[in-house]
Amino acid sequence: MMRMFRTPAIVLFCGVVAYAHEIGTTRVSAVLHEDRTYGIEIVTDAVTLAEKLDGSPGGDFAGKFLQRVKIAFDGQSVRPAVGYSEAAGAVATIRLTGQIPPDAREFTWAYGWTFASYAMTVRGSASAPAVTQWLEGNQSSAPFAVTAPAPPADRVRTAWRYLLLGFTHIMPNGLDHMLFVLGIYLLSYRVRSLLWQVSAFTVAHSITLGLSMYGVVTLRPSIVEPLIALSIAYVAIENVFLAELKPWRIALVFSFGLLHGLGFAGALKDLALPRSEFVTALLTFNLGVEAGQLAVIAAAFLLVGWHFSDRSWYRGRIVVPVSALIACTAVYWTVQRLSS
Amino acid sequence: MKVSLKIAAAVLSGMPLFAHDMWIRPTTFSPETGEIVGVRLLVGQNFLGDPIPRDSGLIRQFFVQDAAERKPLVGRDGSNPAGYLRVATPGLLVIGYHSNPSPMDLPAEKFNQYLKDEGLDGIAALRARRNETAAGVHELFSRCAKSLVLSGSPDKAQGDRALGFPLELVAERNPYANRAGEDLPIRLTYENRSLAGALVIAMNRQNPSEKMTARTGKDGRVHFRLGREGMWLIKSVHMVPAPAGTNAEWASYWASLTFELK
Repeated sequence: MMRMFRTPAIVLFCGVVAYAHEIGTTRVSAVLHEDRTYGIEIVTDAVTLAEKLDGSPGGDFAGKFLQRVKIAFDGQSVRPAVGYSEAAGAVATIRLTGQIPPDAREFTWAYGWTFASYAMTVRGSASAPAVTQWLEGNQSSAPFAVTAPAPPADRVRTAWRYLLLGFTHIMPNGLDHMLFVLGIYLLSYRVRSLLWQVSAFTVAHSITLGLSMYGVVTLRPSIVEPLIALSIAYVAIENVFLAELKPWRIALVFSFGLLHGLGFAGALKDLALPRSEFVTALLTFNLGVEAGQLAVIAAAFLLVGWHFSDRSWYRGRIVVPVSALIACTAVYWTVQRLSS
Repeated sequence: MKVSLKIAAAVLSGMPLFAHDMWIRPTTFSPETGEIVGVRLLVGQNFLGDPIPRDSGLIRQFFVQDAAERKPLVGRDGSNPAGYLRVATPGLLVIGYHSNPSPMDLPAEKFNQYLKDEGLDGIAALRARRNETAAGVHELFSRCAKSLVLSGSPDKAQGDRALGFPLELVAERNPYANRAGEDLPIRLTYENRSLAGALVIAMNRQNPSEKMTARTGKDGRVHFRLGREGMWLIKSVHMVPAPAGTNAEWASYWASLTFELK
């Protein structure tokens, strides 16, 4: 006598009696934000909602509406702020917002302004995956877990972690940056020359690292990376032909520093900076990069500079061949990065 | 047959989780010839309801019958109104919606209350005899909703028609041709035979808490004097043991008939 029975998409939850009614036009979505606020949006038919509210005692819209809405955290009801808007086609959107009580672990919901089944979706944050329950009018939802707030980041630990990350981004992981610094070091054994170049490079890459992390300056890695390789080649080639620090060299190192800063920013973005400790992480990463650069210079000084920089053959046997080797490597990288 | 007037308790004081009516509410009960009419399906109580969007998985029959032919109501899944019709010729149109059965699980307390509210005393007595009053149930429910729409002038010769639904309310006079306060005979059929002893409830949209109730006689008829203007909903529920192999104990049929008097 009866044809095949249709089973509506009603999800049964443990401990909740489920009734299968026709699915109406009402939809409810809730977001439990990490900053301990919640937002609940009810989309429903405006005409039939108005008819139900008309027959209901109470004062203004919010007063009437909340009579049949229950928002509870750990079983304790809370009263939200109510917003209402209506779109073409007589679709009403009611927005309920408020604070999640401290230490709340569970969120429950009941909505009595519908006679039909409706879907209730809850997210732990705006971008988190949704959990959906199918509910009837007046039926209490099963509890949704409220995500515990992330423990506050320890500033000292964050600083140390990003200092190390900055250092290791140069030594041993950043061979291109190491060769660039080595190129700077090899130009002249005079401390003044080294100081000017390192200072220009440091100021420049700090500027673009900061600007890029705040989204002020962006440049695609496909452009930045070949240019970094090219800057290494230039510095190394110039070392072959130049033995003294010239003003334009400082300007060039500064502009190359701007490029390297964008490269550092790309690496730092990949590390997903903690939002609460953004400045600490940014500054300590930069400090780590400086320390890495100084370590490269110190190693070069200890290996060759200390003993041989005052020798007559130092330039001919150390500076020129090593610079040429760096230049060849950098040209190879440039081609490689451009082709990939 | 006895007709009585019952004042319902507070309308919204306890929207229950069960025993919801379904009725048809067209965008107009008096369309012009050539007019497109949207046909809304509403689920609720006391004329307060929620629109149910079109769901092809639920629809067994959804059509309009005029003097000449029967035409399916068009629409796409998820749309509200659930269907549309075009009034081709003047006259009385009968809109029908018959759903596939849907399962519903109810705890004993709610099921017993629902039997009481819908006047299903025979089922309640049967459960009591079987010592099942404390048991929850698996039920299958089907909707058998009708609506009468008039295009043009009323004609006593034109009336409601039996559509062949399992449970069906048929107005035996054209309500649009009835004068205010005049007797309106309504026949309730189950599987095309008169159903005796069933509770039939009539309510007006302007004051739905003031209900007229009657039990059908042996001929399946009730008579209501519908004095008030406005939209009327006549409804009745019938329950039988569910067919074998359906994993349900009971099958219920929800008949409704809507029209609007002026």
